[in-house]
Amino acid sequence: MNSNDQFRELIEAYAIGSLDAPERAQVEAHLASGCNDCEKALQEARWLVSQLAYLAPNAEPSDMLKGRLLQTVRAEAAEAAEAGTQRQVVRRAGVPAWLWWLWAGVAALLLFSAYSAWNEKQLRNSVANLQQQAEAQRAERQKLEQELHAAKVQAHEAMIWSDPKSKKIMLSSKDPKMPQLEAMWHPDMGLVVRGWKTPSPGDKRVLQLWLISKKSGKLMPSVTFWPDASGKFSAMVENPPDAMSDTQALAITEEPMGGSQQPTGEPMWVGGVS
Amino acid sequence: MFLAVFSPKGSDEVSPDATLMRQLLRRDVGAFEELYERHSRIVYSLVLRILRQGSTAEEVVQDVFLQLWRNSAQYDLSRPFVPWLLTLARNRALDQLRLKSERQRRREEQTEEFPQIASAAPEYERELDEKRRAERVRMLIGSLPTAQKKAIELAYFEGLSHSEIAASLKEPLGTVKSWIRNGLLRLKEGLQAS
Repeated sequence: MNSNDQFRELIEAYAIGSLDAPERAQVEAHLASGCNDCEKALQEARWLVSQLAYLAPNAEPSDMLKGRLLQTVRAEAAEAAEAGTQRQVVRRAGVPAWLWWLWAGVAALLLFSAYSAWNEKQLRNSVANLQQQAEAQRAERQKLEQELHAAKVQAHEAMIWSDPKSKKIMLSSKDPKMPQLEAMWHPDMGLVVRGWKTPSPGDKRVLQLWLISKKSGKLMPSVTFWPDASGKFSAMVENPPDAMSDTQALAITEEPMGGSQQPTGEPMWVGGVS
Repeated sequence: MFLAVFSPKGSDEVSPDATLMRQLLRRDVGAFEELYERHSRIVYSLVLRILRQGSTAEEVVQDVFLQLWRNSAQYDLSRPFVPWLLTLARNRALDQLRLKSERQRRREEQTEEFPQIASAAPEYERELDEKRRAERVRMLIGSLPTAQKKAIELAYFEGLSHSEIAASLKEPLGTVKSWIRNGLLRLKEGLQAS
């Protein structure tokens, strides 16, 4: 294996950014030495890595984002246009002196209207700035509210998990390779289901919790959730549709995005409540 | 040979994105709006997948598109636009994820402000439209064994290194390295074959 082969084997990992520091330093030193083959291979590997973006579930940004962006861009384009006009005026400095006197009268007349226009633009800019600030404050408030809500949910889950009145429920799968999930049900505070190393549902699919009624045997739909990249998740139901004593078991199925009213497949995990 | 598939073909064709980027150099707001309409969904989907929080993801997307607007002159019109934009968005999102951490400093040293992507787009890029390519990428990566797919996702969406992924998945370091490289090579072969 020659030196280039050795580095070519690291190029994909370098492009995705997963090389550990020593190997990364080696590749960077080799690229800095001017190896054209490896540089070309790196650019191609970066293209390949960029295609992994299509693994992300489809999502749509809010209309507010587009509004904010266009507002900023339009204001900057207007400023650039105005700066361009000023530059053109400066370029006229080479004309004969007598023309300046002729133009001076016209310029004096125009000055007032130009000042008025400038003043109006300043006012418009001020209004635009105030609107931008208000948007930013609204976004910041929304962010804080989301963080506060997340903190409240986390605290609530912790209380359920630690309260001695809570009952622990283990959810098992028929598939021995699947991890066992845990639920904790407090008679007053609600129900929390947690999992680790849980496989991700398919594209545009979510996991959904069901409560199986002791009286009717029917499955009552509950929350939908999605594990993170490491397979970890925590889902809370503050007000379960039935009391713990009236619930025979918990079940989890894979459903289309948004959840279902009736399960569309076999339960992947089931755990007896009482 | 691998490089053969990247041979320039139809290089005098001008993509709609390159045309819009040219208009952006003249401060054309309409061109910016068109670029946003064409690509904001995939950029937002990627950034949201990395950050998992809508409000932060929108901040990063805003930052990416403003950079596009303000620094359009730095974009090389001969390079494929979408991979370049996605690389830029991923770098920004991972930087956000690693804010104030050692890993972030490391990435900033490594990452160029405007990433260099192959100037001659691979033949298969031109032949697959975006929707079909997205389906193809999902199918090809989805067909990998679960642990291998997870290793690639941890590297791409979480920005983890080989040793961090090995620790996270409790697998040998050599196995993780092979999984990532072979997985990407399989993706390349699959895209070439389609």
